Amino acid sequence: MSSWLDYTINGLIVGNVYALVAVGLALIFGVSRLINFAQGSIYLVGAYIGWVAVVQLHTPLPLTIIVVAVAAAVVGLIIERFGLRPLQNSVRIAPLLATIGISFVLDQLVMLTFSPNPRALPSQLPDIRFQVGGGTIGPLDLLIAGVGLTSALLLFVFLRYTKLGWAVRATAQDRDAAMQMGVDVNRVNQAVFGIAAALGGVSGLLVGMYYNQIDTAMSLQATLKGVVAEVVGGAGNVPGAVIGSLLLGLVESYGVAMLGTSYRNLFAFLLLVVVLVLRPNGLFVSARQAPPEPLTGTFIAPSRPVHIPRWALLVAVAGFAILPLFPVSFYVLQTLINAWLLGMLALSLTLVAGTMGQVSLGHAALLAIGAYTSALLSLTLAVPVGLAVIGGGLMSAALGTLLISPSFRLRGHYVSIATLAIGEIVALVILNWESVTRGPIGISGIPPLSLFGYDLIGPTSIYWFSLAVMVVLALLQGRLLTSHLGRSFRAIRDDDIAARAYGLGLNRYKSLAFIFGGFAAGISGGIAAHLYSYINHETFNTQQSILALTVVILGGLGNVVGAILGSVALVGLPEVFRIAAEYRILIYGIVLLLLVRFRPQGLLGTV
Amino acid sequence: MTNASAEPLLALSNVNTFYGQAQVHFDLSISVARGHIVCLLGGNASGKSTTMKIILGLVKPRSGDVTFDGASLLGLSTPQIVRRGIASVPEARRLFADMSVRENILMGAFVRNDREAVAQDLDRMLTLFPKLGQRLSQRAGSLSGGEQQMVAMARALMSRPRMIVMDEPTMGLSPLYVDRVLELIRTINQEGVSVFMVEQNASLALEIAHEAYVLQTGKIVLSGPARTLKDDPRIRDAYLGGSEAA
Ligand SMILES: Nc1ncnc2c1ncn2[C@@H]1O[C@H](COP(=O)(O)OP(=O)(O)OP(=O)(O)O)[C@@H](O)[C@H]1O
Ligand SMILES: [Mg+2]
Repeated sequence: MSSWLDYTINGLIVGNVYALVAVGLALIFGVSRLINFAQGSIYLVGAYIGWVAVVQLHTPLPLTIIVVAVAAAVVGLIIERFGLRPLQNSVRIAPLLATIGISFVLDQLVMLTFSPNPRALPSQLPDIRFQVGGGTIGPLDLLIAGVGLTSALLLFVFLRYTKLGWAVRATAQDRDAAMQMGVDVNRVNQAVFGIAAALGGVSGLLVGMYYNQIDTAMSLQATLKGVVAEVVGGAGNVPGAVIGSLLLGLVESYGVAMLGTSYRNLFAFLLLVVVLVLRPNGLFVSARQAPPEPLTGTFIAPSRPVHIPRWALLVAVAGFAILPLFPVSFYVLQTLINAWLLGMLALSLTLVAGTMGQVSLGHAALLAIGAYTSALLSLTLAVPVGLAVIGGGLMSAALGTLLISPSFRLRGHYVSIATLAIGEIVALVILNWESVTRGPIGISGIPPLSLFGYDLIGPTSIYWFSLAVMVVLALLQGRLLTSHLGRSFRAIRDDDIAARAYGLGLNRYKSLAFIFGGFAAGISGGIAAHLYSYINHETFNTQQSILALTVVILGGLGNVVGAILGSVALVGLPEVFRIAAEYRILIYGIVLLLLVRFRPQGLLGTV
Repeated sequence: MTNASAEPLLALSNVNTFYGQAQVHFDLSISVARGHIVCLLGGNASGKSTTMKIILGLVKPRSGDVTFDGASLLGLSTPQIVRRGIASVPEARRLFADMSVRENILMGAFVRNDREAVAQDLDRMLTLFPKLGQRLSQRAGSLSGGEQQMVAMARALMSRPRMIVMDEPTMGLSPLYVDRVLELIRTINQEGVSVFMVEQNASLALEIAHEAYVLQTGKIVLSGPARTLKDDPRIRDAYLGGSEAA
C-alpha cells in the first residue's frame, strides 16, 4: 500500500516528464500559434534513440541524455524546415494538419524499424529507494527532477539573457512587430523547434526508463498529455505549462490512488475539458491577453468547388449499385462496404469541420456511441436491428451534441483539442463503465444486420444496404447545404462575429450541425457493430478520427461528393495495390502532408 | 514630383497592391527626399497602413517598385529591410506588452552588435524621453497610451535608422502628448533621420511635414509641399470623401 506522499511524489515526477513535453508545445504555440501534434512523435523517437544508445551502444547515462537531446533536436529542425516552413503563407489549419501527418509518418517509421512490440529500456541507475517521511524516492526520481529543474533553468537563462531568447519572447508577443525590429522569424522558429524537440526527446527517454518499457503507442499519449498540460497552463505560456504539467501529474496520481490505474487518463481529459470550458485561456492568463486564435475566416482554404454534373453522379451511383450483379469478388464488395461506412463518417465530419468550421479530431467517438447503443439495444432489449441502428444514430446525435456543447464558444485549434479530449473521454468511459459496456471485454455476439425481419448476411445485401444508407444521407446533406440553414452554417464558419451581429445564434446552429453529423456517424457505427459482431473500446479509435479527417480534406472540406470520393480512394486504393496494413498509416500520413502542401482545397474543392 | 533633382531616399513607383481580389493601391508613387518629413494623409481604409507595410516588406505589391537609397527592397524580407536602415513605429504602437520598458527599447537595437554604443544610446533615449527613466523595469503593457508612444519612438530610434516610418503616431493621445510627439518627430528629423508618417489629422501633420500626399481609396489625389497644401481647400474634400479632388 503506497502512502499519499508516494502518490504526491509520483505525481510530481510524472508531472516533470509532462512538463518537458508541454514546455516545448508552449514555446512553439507562443511563436507560431500552432499546436504541434508531432511533439509526441519526437518523444517516441527520443525513447527509441535512447534504447539504441543504452542497449546497443552501451553509452553512459549523461552521454545518452546528450545523444537523445541532440538527435531529437535534429528531427525537430527537419520538421520545421521541410514540414512547416513551406506552409507559412497557407491557411491557418495547414500547419496543424501537417503536424498530424508528420506524427503519423514518424510513428510509423519507428514502428516499421523497431516493430510494435514493447522493449525494455533499463535506466542504468541502482535500484534503491530512500525513505522520505512516509514515502520513498529513488535515484531515477531524482534524475527526472534534476533534468526538469536544469532544463527549466537553462530555458530561463536562454529566454532572459540571450539575444535569440529575446527574439523568441518578442515574436511570441507580436510577430509582426518583432520582424520590424529585424528579428528573423525563421530563425526563431528553428530555435524553438530545436529546443522543443530536444526536451521532448529527453522526456521520452526518461519515461521509458521510468517504466522500463517503451512502445510505439507512447506517441499519441504523450502528445495528448502535453497538450492537456499546456492548455491548462495557458497556451503559449511557458511557466504556465510547467505548473499545468505538475498539476496534471498530481491530479492523475491522486485519481489513480482513488479509483485505479484505468482512470488515469480520464482524469487528465476531464481536467482539460473543465479548463477549456471555464478558462479557455488557461489558469494563469489574465483576461487582457487577446485570444490566441484568429477568427475562423482564414481557417479553411477558400476555393471554387469542382462542378460535377448531376447525370455523372447518377451514373456513378447506378454503376456502384449494379456492381454486385457482375462477377466481382467478395473481397471487392467487402472493401467497398468499408468505404461506404467510412463515407458516412466522412459526411458527418465534412459537415462539422468543413461546412461549420469545427475541425473535430474526436469523430470516432460518435461511431462508438452509435455502435454501442445499437449493439446493446439489440442484444439486451431485443430491439430489431434496423431500429437499433437508428437508435444508435439518434443517441450519437444527442449525446455527441450534448458532450460538445460546453465547448461551443471555443474557436479554431481549441475546438480540435476539445473534440480530441471528448473522443478520448468517450473511449475511457466505455472502458470503465463495465456494468453497461462490459468494459475491456467488449461486446460479442452482436446480431447481424436485418431489415423487416430479413437477415442481411450475404455481402451483396450488406453492400446494397450500406450504399443505400450512405446515398440517402448524402442526398439529405446536399439538400441541407443548399438550404438557408446550410448558408447560415457557412456564414458562421467564415466570420462568426459578423454572423452573430447578423442575429444568428451560434450555439443553435452548431448544435444542429452536430446533431445531423452525429446521426450520420452514429448510423455508420451502428451498422459497423452488427457487421463486425464484436466491438470493444478500441474498435473506434483516434486513428480512425484522423483517417476520417484525411478523407475529408482529400475530398475537399464541406464537399459531400468529395467526402465519398475520399473514402473510396483511401479505403480502396491501398486494397487495390495490396498494401500491407502497417504501411497504410504511413501512406495516410504522406497523403495528408502532400495535400496540405500542394492541394489544401482537396480534390473536389472546399464548399 | 518633389525633389526630382536629387535621388530620393525612399521611392514607391507605380505600386499596385491587392489583398486577394481587392485592390488597395492603384499606381501609387511616393518619394521621400533625404532629410525630409513626408506625410501621407487619407481617410479610413484608404490604404495608408498598407503603404507602411509595403515599405517594410510585410506586404508585397503585385507590381511596381520600392527603392531605398537607390536599391530595390522588393526581394528583401522585413528583417533585411530593417537592417538597411528603416525603423518603424507601427499603428497602435505594438509594444511587446509582457516585456519591460527597457527590454522593449533594447529590442529596437536588435540588429546592432555594438553593445557599448547601444548602452549609450539607451541613456540618450532617457534624456530625449525623460519620463521613461522611472519606468524602465515596468511591463510595457501597463503604461499609458502616451508613454507607450514614447517607448515605441525610442525603440525605433535605437536601431540608428536612416529613416523612420510611423503609422498614426498621434492616434488616441491627449492633446498634451500630441504636441510632444510632433515636437519629438521634428527633433528626430533635425538629427538627420528622414521621416515618413501616415496621419489622419491633416492640420497637425502639415505643421511639421515638408511634403505631403493625400490618398483616397488607394490613389494619390493630391501632393505637394506642406506649406501650399495647408491652405488647399481640396484637403478637406479628400477627407469628406466628396468630390473627386484631383
Ligand atoms: N490583411 C488584410 N487582408 C484583407 N484586407 C485588408 C487587410 N488589411 C487591410 N485590408 C483592407 O485594405 C484596405 C486598406 O486598409 P489599410 O489598413 O491600409 O487602411 P488605412 O488607411 O490604414 O485605414 P485606417 O485609417 O483605418 O488605419 C481596407 O479596406 C482594409 O479593409
Ligand atoms: Mg491604418
